[in-house]
Amino acid sequence: MLYYIGKRFLQSLVVIFIVTLFAFVLVHAAPGNPARMMAGEYATDEQVAAMEERMGFNKPIYEQFWMYLEGLAHGDFGMSVVYNQPVLPIIFSRLPVTVQLAVGTVLVACLLSIPLGVIAGVTRAKFIEFFAMFFALLGQSMSSLWLGILLIYIFAVKLGWLPAIGTGGIEYLILPVLTMGYPMAATLTRVARSGMIDTMNEDYITATYAKGISNFQVYTKYALRNAMIPVITLIGLDLAMQLSGSVIVESVFSRAGVGQLMNQSVTSRDYAMIQAMLLISSFLFTFVNFIVDVINSIIDPRLSLY
Amino acid sequence: MDKRILFSRMRKSYFFMIGVVGIVLIFAICYLVPLFVHWDPEKNSLLDRLFPPEGFARGLEGHVFGTDALGRDVLSRILIGGQYSFRLAFMVVVLQMVIGTVLGILSGYLGGWADIIIMRACDAIMSMPTLIMAIAVLAVLGPSTQNLVLVLTLSGWIQLCKVVRNNVRVVKRQEFVLASRDLGAKLSHIMFSQILPNVTTNIIIIASQRLGFLIIMEASLSFLGLGIQPPAPSWGNMISAGRQYMTTQPWLILVPGFALMLAVLSFNFLGDGIRDVLDPKRKM
Repeated sequence: MLYYIGKRFLQSLVVIFIVTLFAFVLVHAAPGNPARMMAGEYATDEQVAAMEERMGFNKPIYEQFWMYLEGLAHGDFGMSVVYNQPVLPIIFSRLPVTVQLAVGTVLVACLLSIPLGVIAGVTRAKFIEFFAMFFALLGQSMSSLWLGILLIYIFAVKLGWLPAIGTGGIEYLILPVLTMGYPMAATLTRVARSGMIDTMNEDYITATYAKGISNFQVYTKYALRNAMIPVITLIGLDLAMQLSGSVIVESVFSRAGVGQLMNQSVTSRDYAMIQAMLLISSFLFTFVNFIVDVINSIIDPRLSLY
Repeated sequence: MDKRILFSRMRKSYFFMIGVVGIVLIFAICYLVPLFVHWDPEKNSLLDRLFPPEGFARGLEGHVFGTDALGRDVLSRILIGGQYSFRLAFMVVVLQMVIGTVLGILSGYLGGWADIIIMRACDAIMSMPTLIMAIAVLAVLGPSTQNLVLVLTLSGWIQLCKVVRNNVRVVKRQEFVLASRDLGAKLSHIMFSQILPNVTTNIIIIASQRLGFLIIMEASLSFLGLGIQPPAPSWGNMISAGRQYMTTQPWLILVPGFALMLAVLSFNFLGDGIRDVLDPKRKM
């Protein structure tokens, strides 16, 4: 098992290296002189030259990459041209708003999906199954873009119950959380349902029935735990992907989080910021993926044989 | 697979039938109706700004869904926007299928270093969320249709490649492959004439399930201003432009929004239906 964990660790390092190389090449493939871009539109030639010197753009490309890697290792993700500050503290300052959204999203998604998926998987009643599958399919077809706009139109414009846009108390959180939670609940419903079906076919479930335990206890005490393993794995991986969802939702609801920062960086051509966001979301995903694999290999040692 | 079994399964699958009917209808509307609408989707007309929808009172002569802030007919923009969206999605899916299949077969059949390199590349691309990667690439390279196709293709062939690879690793151990190798068949013949036909089912299932996702991606990127560029119409940039008129002229967001939802829903129904028809055992 240690061999397996070591192998997965090395693989994760390789992934991180490739992603870093990709982000580095991407910014250097940008049309135009990067130093001029970073110095700003109205910079004089001297300012551009100073920027070139400071960022090391006059050095050979492999040396620049090495400098970049060294910087990353020290937590230096580059300088923002817009804020004239290192990008990392700026991203962290925006994080609480997005984390609030992400936590709410996961809660809503679980509350919507797990009961529905479990009931559909246990009863296998045709009507409930069709409803669960339709609920899932509709959720996958409602992009957060359209769902967000529709919710604003219904609950803010027509009914006037909730504020349309902005950051603030709990009333500002309800619509964004629903917008992001429903599409996520769609996938989770499917996984919860199929997990429940697989578990109910296991021998140990038949054995618990044979012992005379009530149906309800079999479902909640014995089947649910095993059926939830794929659901929890998916939630873990989805958490790392929340940043991606927040770009649209925070743009629709004008929330001052990380997603909105990403959007503003695109408009202001703040390449260091965009590069940092790409790297952070990828590192986060790779890290969560690694942890999930390690936990799974401890729970089920057969997995580490492959 | 026997054709009769296939047809009877198609008829029995609600999802497949709903998907097929929906898509045929949407395609017919998007590609046939513009022949009878005489409004130019990109021509501004400031005297005709923000007309409310008049329905079919004057048939297709009038502004069925009204006009937008620049006086352009919303119906014709929806239809042409749909055409752009479908063309893009199909182009990207075909490219993803080709890249994913070829790399998957190479990775699975050759094994060794080819496998290691291709799989690590897959892991690296998979670790970057599609939308974030698309935004980063389009922000740096500049928004254009070519770049849009490039970045959506780049981010989506992974799943296909992994499934094909795992399939190939099973198929390559079967007798007919070993036999043709011993008979001295060329590598390319074994990979593409012998192994490929055995993995096509999964390729079709995965490709059909990606279409809806790609339409959402295109709309999202266009909404952020990185996808299809105005004045060319796209459901995403129409929603984006209509947002500020939400309280007074709600049709500017509701019409493209419902178009987006119905199109994606039909493609998702079809994708799930195709899976049920081709692979009834793996019902999710």
